[in-house]
Amino acid sequence: MSKFLKFTASIVLLGAAWATNANAQDADAGEKVFRKCAACHAVGEGAKNKVGPELNEIFGRVAGSLEDFKYSKAMTKAGEEGLVWDHDSLTEYLAKPRDYVKGTKMAFAGLKKDDEIANVIAYLATFSESAEQAAAESESAPAAAPVETASAAEPAVNAADAVIPEHGVYHLGREALPEEIAAWDIDVRPDGVGLPVGSGTVADGGVLYDENCAVCHGVFGEGEGRWPVLSGGFDTLTADRPVKTIGSYWPFASTIFDYVHRAMPFGNARSLSADQTYAITAYLLYLNDIVTEEDFELSNETFSEISLPNEENFYPDDRLEEANFATNVEPCMENCGDGPAEIVMRARILDVTPDGDEENGAGGID
Amino acid sequence: MSKQPQKNKNFVPSRRSFLQGGLTAAGGAAVAAIGGGAALAAGTPDPAITELKDWNQYSGPGVDAAPYGVPSPFEAHVVRRDVPWLTADPISSINFTPLHELDGIITPNGLCFERHHSGVAEVDPAEHRLMINGLVDKPLVFTMQDLMRFPRENRVYFLECAANSGMEWRGAQLNGCQFTHGMLHNVMYTGVRLRTLLEEAGVKPAGKWILAEGADASGMGRSIPIEKALDDCLVAFKMNGEALRPEQGYPVRLCVPGWEGNMWVKWLRRIEVGDKPWQLREETSKYTDLMPDGRARRFTWAMDVKSVITNPSPQAPITHGRGHTIITGVAWSGHGKIKRVDVSIDGGRNWQHARIDGPSLSRSLHRFYYEFNWDGSPLYLQSRAIDEQGYVQPTKDALRAARGDNSIYHNNGIQTWYLKSNGEAENVEVS
Ligand code: HEC
Ligand code: HEC
Repeated sequence: MSKFLKFTASIVLLGAAWATNANAQDADAGEKVFRKCAACHAVGEGAKNKVGPELNEIFGRVAGSLEDFKYSKAMTKAGEEGLVWDHDSLTEYLAKPRDYVKGTKMAFAGLKKDDEIANVIAYLATFSESAEQAAAESESAPAAAPVETASAAEPAVNAADAVIPEHGVYHLGREALPEEIAAWDIDVRPDGVGLPVGSGTVADGGVLYDENCAVCHGVFGEGEGRWPVLSGGFDTLTADRPVKTIGSYWPFASTIFDYVHRAMPFGNARSLSADQTYAITAYLLYLNDIVTEEDFELSNETFSEISLPNEENFYPDDRLEEANFATNVEPCMENCGDGPAEIVMRARILDVTPDGDEENGAGGID
Repeated sequence: MSKQPQKNKNFVPSRRSFLQGGLTAAGGAAVAAIGGGAALAAGTPDPAITELKDWNQYSGPGVDAAPYGVPSPFEAHVVRRDVPWLTADPISSINFTPLHELDGIITPNGLCFERHHSGVAEVDPAEHRLMINGLVDKPLVFTMQDLMRFPRENRVYFLECAANSGMEWRGAQLNGCQFTHGMLHNVMYTGVRLRTLLEEAGVKPAGKWILAEGADASGMGRSIPIEKALDDCLVAFKMNGEALRPEQGYPVRLCVPGWEGNMWVKWLRRIEVGDKPWQLREETSKYTDLMPDGRARRFTWAMDVKSVITNPSPQAPITHGRGHTIITGVAWSGHGKIKRVDVSIDGGRNWQHARIDGPSLSRSLHRFYYEFNWDGSPLYLQSRAIDEQGYVQPTKDALRAARGDNSIYHNNGIQTWYLKSNGEAENVEVS
């Protein structure tokens, strides 16, 4: 009897929890979508401006109106003309930022899926008081079905029906299809192996770079704030503070294509086509004086003409030749060194540790 | 339910907090947690004994109060910490293992330092695949379930970032072994030999290199010579008995024992076999060692013999005064086991053998202890490890003499802590 009572009670409780979570689940999904924004935006307690403005209290904010953020002219103008962020304007902006606010400097292609847009807006609403109230009044968005998580096991097939492949020792896995390999195998080597068919000019690359890369890496590749520097630094490799860039340090141009194609723009990787990547690579070579003509076209055919100035200055690991690696040397155990040890450097004197998040010139982690 | 340990959001390493030492920032918590009651006048009964404690009188929470257990709230200060100004953004950044709070050789999963290049990928294991392609007889695709049907191995390995202690190349900088040495963890992995998987696909004779690639948004990739791939590399899905943590590559990562951490590709999704290295960004722009003549070493994979005293250290001062004192620390080498650790309390003038306790495994952390009677005078504490190949941990000066100031990576030099009479320790370098 008492057992039964307890059982129903817990079911009721569970039901209640799901019902009240209807909104929360939406926003939870939005929190994940927000990762696409997090490279540039912060939201929540203590959020500061990053590459983009902080997004607390975005509902009801006049576009381009934060005083301590430097907006594009386009965004400021949109605000002056009456653009206020609400559910509808955010929906349109996040789908196609550059169509909705022509000339915005938000280097983000837009969210493709409607539910992603709805969820990320629901998430942002949790940091906007006015939106929270509106949501409480209006009907809540449909909740995603609760996921059954007690067991992750898939339904078993009849063991005897399992098909066993022929390959290998254990006959596990299956043959990879050519389409699958093509989808994942995008790496490019210095000898050109892996380059896709395509082309792009320095001039095209400049336009793409300004739109997609300059917010972080600077208009000339000089790096905004602490974001990586992509150009210059020539003849600094023996200096006190070397600046290692594509032009001053990188050995191979193929690395630029490979890396930009697989990992950039930061926060929206793999969004560039082969032609776009050729164009941007050509532009990065131009910013580093490796090509000089704006109409230079980089393609799978012209790629082999390019070599980077620092290539020959790399050599294989020869650490073992250092005196430090002598073996069978019994290290000194008694009365080593001259006189008693004295402090020659301390964190206190050599401390280049800045307070808070100031600029810091000291060795990073790379 | 009990209070969950939380990251101390106020702890931002800065000049001030480093100067005042871990004493105020981190050590304070430790003192409060374990040092209480030390100042009782002789003859006064200890209230910890004479007063009835809540936990002695009332029942505590039942089983399942925390279905996945968490540490005691009194250990809330034991967390990974980052140094925000090191990088432009926390999405491509690093935090550090609190070495000074640990003992033994295993790093708990939640304290293993993190380094991501595009944040923590949240990978659904049901939709994760591992592909092997390139110079193989048959390119293959494995599901997680397929992977777990290969013969498994359990191995304990350290992982050290090549940039560990990198901030110290130019001289003592960060005051705390968490920050100077905390890009390090030691874990027991369960996984399948990479060799087994490569043999399933059949490596062609021309195959001399592999490319290991991750599924995260940085598409992390490193070239590894086939000899290493066929030797001890492990494709791991468990750490310390449970599934990998997301931040350590869930559901599957590569282990490259003894070699720099960046090669241990997380969220591993593809192995390509080729006849040459790929020269990707992480083996050209990064993880190459700039020498004083402006040239650079490449493919510097192995992590050299190294050790550090974890206690006392700037974040873990001595609070008990003079008398019987334990110095402890860790030692490790990418070249095999640790043969011996020496400790000096006078800045390297005289050395004593430390005692290694716990398992001594190849390419794993070793725990050492040195016990002595501290008279309360200031000391310069150092440790020096020797591995089974006979390599001896060098001084920082010897490293700089060979490699200059701009090398960043592979700093395995001897660390000095200046222990003051009041028990505080400071990061210094000595003559
Ligand atoms: C690559 C960096 C970047 C990414 C990624 C990015 N943004 Fe932005 N965002 C910006 C910048 C820069 C601005 C300022 C635009 C301007 O001044 O034209 C901005 C402006 C905005 C604004 C207008 C704020 C105001 O004060 O008027 C909103 C809203 C916004 N972003 C939302 C998002 C959301 C949501 C996402 C993710 C789906 C996102 N952004 C992704 C850089 C970015
Ligand atoms: C939101 C900021 C942001 C944007 C936008 C961005 N990047 Fe990056 N970029 C980064 C960060 C952060 C890194 C370093 C990532 C890491 O730590 O692995 C990086 C690294 C690079 C590097 C390697 C630098 C080196 O020295 O190793 C190149 C090349 C690069 N980006 C090119 C581009 C290009 C081309 C674009 C535009 C298509 C772009 N980036 C857009 C943030 C950005």
